[in-house]
Amino acid sequence: MLKNITVSCSPHISKNMSTRSIMIDVIIALSPAMLAACYYFHSKAVIILATCIISALVTEWSCNLLQKRPNSLGDFSAVVTAIILALSLPPAFPFWAAIIGSVFAIGIGKMVFGGLGANIFNPAMVARAFLTASFGALMTTFTVPASIDQAMPQMSAANTTAITQATPLAWSKQAVKKQCDTTTVNDQLKASITGNIGGCLGETSVIALVIGGIYLLIKKTIDYLIPLSVMVSAALFALIFYWIDPQMYMSPIMHLTTGGMLLCAFFIATDPVTAPLTKKGKIIFGVGVGVMIMLVRTLGEYPEGVMYAILLMNAISPLIDRMCKRIPRGGKAPCQK
Amino acid sequence: MDVDIKGKMTFRGGAHPSQNKKLTEDKEILPGPAVKQLAVMLSQHIGAPCKPMVQKGDIVIAGQRIGESDAYVSAAVHSPVNGTVKEIALRSHPIQGRSLAIIIDVDTKAEINTPKKPALLSIKDFDADKYTSEQICNAISKAGLVGMGGAGFPTRVKLDPNPKQPKTSLIVNGCECEPYITCDYRMMVERADQILAGIELAKKASGCLEVFIGIEDNKPKAIEVMTEMLKKTPARQNIKIVPLKTKYPQGGERQLIKAVLGKNVPTGVIPPMIGVVVLNVATSAAIAEAVISNKPLTHRVVTVTGQPIANPGNFYVPIGTSVGDLIEFCGSVTEKSVKVLMGGPMMGIAIADLETPITKTTGAITLLNEEQIGIEKHKGHKTACIHCGRCLDVCPEHLNPTLLAHAVRKNMFDVAEQYYISACMECGCCSYICPANIELTGHIKTGKIYLAREKKRMPK
Repeated sequence: MLKNITVSCSPHISKNMSTRSIMIDVIIALSPAMLAACYYFHSKAVIILATCIISALVTEWSCNLLQKRPNSLGDFSAVVTAIILALSLPPAFPFWAAIIGSVFAIGIGKMVFGGLGANIFNPAMVARAFLTASFGALMTTFTVPASIDQAMPQMSAANTTAITQATPLAWSKQAVKKQCDTTTVNDQLKASITGNIGGCLGETSVIALVIGGIYLLIKKTIDYLIPLSVMVSAALFALIFYWIDPQMYMSPIMHLTTGGMLLCAFFIATDPVTAPLTKKGKIIFGVGVGVMIMLVRTLGEYPEGVMYAILLMNAISPLIDRMCKRIPRGGKAPCQK
Repeated sequence: MDVDIKGKMTFRGGAHPSQNKKLTEDKEILPGPAVKQLAVMLSQHIGAPCKPMVQKGDIVIAGQRIGESDAYVSAAVHSPVNGTVKEIALRSHPIQGRSLAIIIDVDTKAEINTPKKPALLSIKDFDADKYTSEQICNAISKAGLVGMGGAGFPTRVKLDPNPKQPKTSLIVNGCECEPYITCDYRMMVERADQILAGIELAKKASGCLEVFIGIEDNKPKAIEVMTEMLKKTPARQNIKIVPLKTKYPQGGERQLIKAVLGKNVPTGVIPPMIGVVVLNVATSAAIAEAVISNKPLTHRVVTVTGQPIANPGNFYVPIGTSVGDLIEFCGSVTEKSVKVLMGGPMMGIAIADLETPITKTTGAITLLNEEQIGIEKHKGHKTACIHCGRCLDVCPEHLNPTLLAHAVRKNMFDVAEQYYISACMECGCCSYICPANIELTGHIKTGKIYLAREKKRMPK
């Protein structure tokens, strides 16, 4: 009557969810930002995205082959890494350098640690740090979206073939000396809401990133604590400096809407592998990331600090988890007091 | 009815597995199959196993005590039928592996052995004050009552008044939070008065001052029936029905106490030690039977359910009936099933041997097909842990399951102990929710068994 019944440990049912479905959710959430990038930067965005994704998949496949591990392409985590890396690259970035970055992200950032779940640092940010160190000039050359002409002051012309323009953040560093006027600031704010502004591929459009972030929050793919604590801490930090001197420092809203802040808050800092596990730990991690970004932005030499903030906080996230040890609901057991 | 049945109270954490109670929810409790042979386990409870009181070839009658133990924490077993003892042999036990059982050949001609519905108690002129606490406790002990919700802790031990720690609250567990199972629900709908009589007796015996009946709000009919029944008797005004949120594991002792009384039971402590008694509704009904009509615990209601079963339902069966007999009685299996469980899908035990007998704690036989197990899990879509923290969010005991499982896997039992592995109650929420489909509960169980063994070996 009953043949081939299996025996296993309880529970015998499981929620229909897998690592793959989580990664697919993240890819869906990233698609508005990808579409915005393709809309504003045309073929440049498409080429960078495509080369990053393809080279990431090839790298993962060959690493698995070399390390004699089962094929892990099916979990789509390589695709997520590649998209985040691509979206944090400048539009005029040459495709061969993007391939180097993508190979580095998967090979050194993830696979040498033992694949998905074992890496200490966010692979995309590791690769971006590597690219910044190797191709410094290329990484800071930002072209304007093809649709607008020069509305904002030109800062550099390192690449003669592309029309370049300073990002709002780089511009603000210069503006410190120039005593900028408020109308320019407002123009920039409006432009960055839709994304019609210079910057990295996926970091320019606020609307696209917020739509993606809200999708992840509604689907409960990410914990709301990390994005919330990143943004609140960064905004408070910016507010203090803005109060001290509104002429020197940008407003909190400007800080939240420009650069990699939103991409970081919704997609990079929330990478589960490299963030702490506990709720308390997530808040500490988020606040750390937010404060670190603002420290680099306001006091540091670089205009943008997302990458450094993430890498530094990744390094201490296991320690944060150890610090936030969970105590059972019933308190410590009598023998463990 | 203007009863507010929306549950507001609950505990933190927990999961929402699909209920699947529709299969048997509206099926009345029916007589079970007429069986030819029973295997009554000598150990159906937490505590010392019983010693057989009969020998091969002895003639036994229904209700006769056939096994008992001198230990305090134990419960006697009784023959459910008239028949002859065929042998005392090893049978598969759902928890303890192979263990001793008394095999009884049923006398099929005897009228008492025909399968029937649970008897209606005549409790018209029932008055709990007629009995003293001691009388009730003795009757419960004589009837071999154990917690019928799953753990099987001897009821006598739970209720016994302890002068050092007077009992204050009695909570009756009508949550039945496990998916699929409906045996307690049917008891509440069909035998509400009997349950309430049992509750009054338990209150009298334990000396509790307040009584709560916790019922999940996915059982509105049970709440309605019980409330109506309560209103009829003014003497029962101090019994309160508490609708609770539908969430697994709402019926766990510690979670139920948290939801109803708002207090956490300290780690490593059982509820009677803080003056709280938790009784299952089926146990309450059995208390009424044991005290009022001196009937020992020999039958129970079992839900036979699952998509592969042709005619799922709730059946009143003698303890010792084999799982195979019950499944056959419910018609052939329509689909290919991959698992046979004693209990529900969250904490039930997958059995390999269909000869395994029903015990006092078996509330359900659940058959699962591939789809129910979870397609992702069944296909073996396993990855490494991605540290998403979902298992931490659902853990009702506020533990760190992924870290515990990892520690056990790497043989770091000291780390597991530091992270309170002993506080785990194995509800299975972490394994249920895990997107990487890691058997977290399994690893933690392994670790607990290993640690218990180590403790035994090491002199203190």
